[in-house]
Amino acid sequence: MGNYRFHTPDGVIDILPQEASVKRKLETDIRELFSSHGYSEVETPGIEYYDVYSSGDFVATEDMFKMQDKDGRIIAMRYDGTVPVARLAATLLKDEKPPLRLSYVENMYRFKLSGGGKLREFSQAGVELLGLDNAEADAEVIALGIQSVLTTGITDLQISIGQIEFFRGLVEEWGISAEDEAELSTAIDQKDLVRIEKIAERLGLSDEAKELLDMISNRFGTYDVLDAFEAKVKNETSRAALQNLREILDILKDYELLQYVSIDLGMLRSLDYYTGMIFKGFTYEVGFPILGGGRYNKVISTFGRELSAVGFSLGINLILTALRRQDKLPEFVEVDAIVGYKDGEGMRQAAFATAKALRETGLKVIVDTQRLSEEELDAYAEERGIDQVVFVEEEEEQEENT
Amino acid sequence: MITIALSKGRLAEKALDLLEAAGYDVTAGREESRKLILQDEKTGLRFIMAKPADVPTYVEYGAADIGVVGKDTLLEEGRNLYEVIDLGYGACRMCVCGPASLKDKLDQIPNKRVGTKYPNITRAYFEGTKKESVEIIKLHGSVELAPLIGLAEVIVDIVESGRTLKENGLDVLEVVADISARVVVNRVSMKMKESEIVPMLDALRKQVAIKNAEKKEG
Repeated sequence: MGNYRFHTPDGVIDILPQEASVKRKLETDIRELFSSHGYSEVETPGIEYYDVYSSGDFVATEDMFKMQDKDGRIIAMRYDGTVPVARLAATLLKDEKPPLRLSYVENMYRFKLSGGGKLREFSQAGVELLGLDNAEADAEVIALGIQSVLTTGITDLQISIGQIEFFRGLVEEWGISAEDEAELSTAIDQKDLVRIEKIAERLGLSDEAKELLDMISNRFGTYDVLDAFEAKVKNETSRAALQNLREILDILKDYELLQYVSIDLGMLRSLDYYTGMIFKGFTYEVGFPILGGGRYNKVISTFGRELSAVGFSLGINLILTALRRQDKLPEFVEVDAIVGYKDGEGMRQAAFATAKALRETGLKVIVDTQRLSEEELDAYAEERGIDQVVFVEEEEEQEENT
Repeated sequence: MITIALSKGRLAEKALDLLEAAGYDVTAGREESRKLILQDEKTGLRFIMAKPADVPTYVEYGAADIGVVGKDTLLEEGRNLYEVIDLGYGACRMCVCGPASLKDKLDQIPNKRVGTKYPNITRAYFEGTKKESVEIIKLHGSVELAPLIGLAEVIVDIVESGRTLKENGLDVLEVVADISARVVVNRVSMKMKESEIVPMLDALRKQVAIKNAEKKEG
């Protein structure tokens, strides 16, 4: 017993004052951004019934933190923001008329067995736009995603946008089985050209199809990519997907955010979750995407309401890491000023009034509780790097200060 | 700066040869020393020398942009990476091996014990592909010993020539996967350093194609 008492469990960390203050500020700024775009924040519980996640097969069992309640029901710690919001939209908010704009900033808990070194408790901020199934909604969410990253001070941002339906259209056209589809999509997502070629051979795909597969893995860009694919693809589903992306680019151009985005039709993860546009955001110095999202029109139906949806989430801890490594963490000042006072009638009251006045100007102020003399107070401020020292002693000086 | 993770030894040598043939100055990577990071400011290339099993980890976390590593390690580690080129060398197979008497009878043994250095590959193969539960015994070397002294019925291991197996009276029963050296790329690096990484990959692919053509002719 007690051997672990000095430690935090694997994957969870203490966040010290500087990072905690930056983190809180990021979260506040992002909340304000969401709210200024008409997204209302909701708080969902830190624990959910396991069924919330398992009924739609959204999350691998072993990735969830689970426990039992007193009746033996399985409880899972909040794994993401989207699924609880989907549950909410289909239950408590079921009579709310769409479109709904909801947001959250919460800690998530993921018990990844493989890997290690990744945080198991981390903060995510995200939005969900429910009940609108068009490019306008897709683009609004992408634009808000970009703006939320820019709000944090990160300027080097690359957004990749894909479209699941493009691939689905090809799969239908080529008549590929579900099993082969899974294998092919994995190979494309990993840009494993050798395996793609092998699968294409085995399936006896045409040369045109092989050329398309090659393009999916290698072509990135904006309108030029869409043009190139449009010239080659005939099936309706894929063409509609390209049209959706074209409209998204048009709208992002009007947002003046086009410079951040590039089309990547080879992004094919979580095929059973997403149903249309998907996107990811990257920056320097972190090996994982800091931003991810897309359209997931089938998730809410798991909870009994047909409602289309698009959203994203932003990894606050990853952004903190990026800011630190890019040398962009703002300077942190614990205390700007210290107010001391001499023994005597009304001196303490005057000190409190002085401190209050200083705080109202936005400074972080402490009142000396160690009862230091003026010289001691100067030395203490020097030692702690406190810029301003105020010592209240005489009636006249007191007035000067206040 | 592009950081390339290599595992010391034959695999690294061959990777450096290919990069050199592709027109990159890899002098730094060839430096004979105990240094683990070999950097060349001029060429903008940095090589890190890691244990093979760690190469996918360095790349997944973005500590390295690119890595060269065996498919066996990739399968065992199961990392989320771009796996872009099959370099073709270091070719061998991951196999289920056991006494030749078990040939075609493998499925008849219930509750098999399987000795292996690759528990994840073994689990994925038996549970995923063969839909069968097995008891996996993790070993660290001389895996062939396990079926000989009754620790396990069969083993899952890499087979190159098959000589070690033969000498110990064992045989390949089933092939799990073909193995060779692969180039892997971090998912973020591919996007953020596209202008450096994509040309490098193209040049490497060209070299591999040349090598493969030579092999066919030879």
